[in-house]
Amino acid sequence: MSGARNGNSVPFSEAIAIAVASLRANKLRSLLTVLGILIGVSSVIAVVAITEGLDRYIAERVLELGSQTFTLQKFPDIITSREQWLEMQKRKDLNLTDLQAVRDACEACLEVGGMYQTRRDVKFGRTTQENVVVMGVTENAPRIGTMREITAGRPLIADDVDRGAPVAVIGTDVADAFFGHLDPLGKEIQVDGHPLRVIGVTDKKGSVFGNSQDNFMWVPITHFQKLWGNRRSVDIMVQAGSMDRFEDAQDQVRVVMRNRRHLGFGKPDDFSIETGESVLELWQSATRGIYVVTVVVTAISLLVGGVVVMNIMLVSVTERIREIGVRKALGARRRDILRQFLVESVILALFGGLLGLLGATVFSWGLATVLGKIMSTSFTAPVRLWAVLLALLVSTLVGLVAGIYPAGRAAALDPVVALRNE
Amino acid sequence: MSGLSPTVVEAPEVAAGSGPLIRAEDLWRTYVMGAEEIHALRGVSFTIDPGEYVAIMGPSGSGKSTLMNLIGCLDTPSRGNYVLRGKTVSQMVDDELAEIRNREIGFVFQTFNLLPRASALHNVELPMVYAGIPKVERLARARRALEMVDLGDRVQHKPSELSGGQRQRVAIARALVMGPSILLADEPTGNLDTVTGEEIMRLFEKLHGDGHTIIVVTHERDIADHAHRTIHIRDGKIESDERREKRQ
Repeated sequence: MSGARNGNSVPFSEAIAIAVASLRANKLRSLLTVLGILIGVSSVIAVVAITEGLDRYIAERVLELGSQTFTLQKFPDIITSREQWLEMQKRKDLNLTDLQAVRDACEACLEVGGMYQTRRDVKFGRTTQENVVVMGVTENAPRIGTMREITAGRPLIADDVDRGAPVAVIGTDVADAFFGHLDPLGKEIQVDGHPLRVIGVTDKKGSVFGNSQDNFMWVPITHFQKLWGNRRSVDIMVQAGSMDRFEDAQDQVRVVMRNRRHLGFGKPDDFSIETGESVLELWQSATRGIYVVTVVVTAISLLVGGVVVMNIMLVSVTERIREIGVRKALGARRRDILRQFLVESVILALFGGLLGLLGATVFSWGLATVLGKIMSTSFTAPVRLWAVLLALLVSTLVGLVAGIYPAGRAAALDPVVALRNE
Repeated sequence: MSGLSPTVVEAPEVAAGSGPLIRAEDLWRTYVMGAEEIHALRGVSFTIDPGEYVAIMGPSGSGKSTLMNLIGCLDTPSRGNYVLRGKTVSQMVDDELAEIRNREIGFVFQTFNLLPRASALHNVELPMVYAGIPKVERLARARRALEMVDLGDRVQHKPSELSGGQRQRVAIARALVMGPSILLADEPTGNLDTVTGEEIMRLFEKLHGDGHTIIVVTHERDIADHAHRTIHIRDGKIESDERREKRQ
């Protein structure tokens, strides 16, 4: 019969079994103890999942605009200060001559189109469709950026634009509002009392953030000018010949415009060139803000959670002084006791982390479903493996740190004193 | 793991001629309480040979608990030498003491001190856990130790499901499972009725007959009478040390 000690500490499996038994003996207490960790972990995972879902959604929409297209416009998409806004007001409108100049001079550009935009109520008989986005476009504009199919009739052609023909291609919202299952082609609709003949209907795109993408119509840019005048700035949409020539195309457009505006060296552009990236960048900087807030919230809940775990571990040690004495009398060394309580603390914190993980998964899934309904698209909020691992790692660390002091106290107990404890 | 021997937890083989099991030389234990020094032991010396059955008696406050803590390696003397099986325990640090307790001392307490949430089997396993003995061997040895104290049919019972006598027998199985040099019992019948107490004392006699060295700390004459040698402690000193009956 050999009592030879192998020099190692008590195996982890033993420490884990002890810890699990003691946590199970105090179910409610354990649950309340880990609340802070639960909240910390679930908030970080849920926020990461949801922002990532939104990121993906936004990126998809931006990519849809076409990665080789950009817009030359009077104002930038994003104005960040009042000073900037006042400065912008001095800018000159872009007009169809600018459009023609760009078209002539930019050899890296595949397509150059123009677009005016306004919102108008549109009538057919006694029916009114409110707030329709009326776009005056060159015949190639619908091919730049967002791709649309014509599902009935025909698209605008160069001849329509040259003649300034009173015709329109309408979105499905307009078509549905006026014609239901009637044939819209050839029907005459009215905008501000001016008749327009429907020549085509586009496909349906659904909505982004609750805004329908189909409540619009295209009319020839020349006709638009005739109806709503010259005192507007045209957006000039450009598609580069290829991805490689994207930068070249932007440079060429910039050079053309600076020449036309007679801007001297060192003067800033008095026009804006916008790519989808600017929107994406804005979004990403907003997301970074969300991340920072989340990290702070998480850090605070984990700190509080850690303090609570430490507190309850101190209680647990105090309750079990006699048990510790017995274990020491039977041969437990300092490190055996230390390990036992550290493992208990870590398991407690990990339990909180796992509950948080579960909570976050349910929450993200629920929110994704709700968001998906609001945006009427499918929307996913993926719970990432790295977020899961990070959460578990962090809760382990919290448990470890919170357990050091109580476990150290337990390990340092004098067996004689501990055994005398009532 | 020897198979069918009737005494499953054997007494350690210490040849009678190989010197004393315990040699205590001039043990002092002093506690500092504020500015005051309290001498719980004032120079205690004795030897105990392998196979002896010794009672340590004395009124409360006599220092017998302190002496028991020193013998059980739970504590070290302030002065003097304590040598157990040739090892000078009085010089040891915490973790070394833990190892000595684990291998050499089998504790039996007045209040049993079983882990309340653990089964009888797991309670008996515990010292072997700290000895780093593999699970399978632990289970087999714990089971045999419980069979030896006639609790083979109660291995999965929790302490709360056992009577006082059964609990103390679980504690005895736990004390013996590592094959210690000494079975050290502190008022082992203090929480038991007379009949059950007698039962436990008969078990001690049987274990002594099997060759175990037993030290019982008590203030009860009846219990001390089971031993073959009684050391009386008073005011931190040995008052008397008498052998009533020659050991075989």
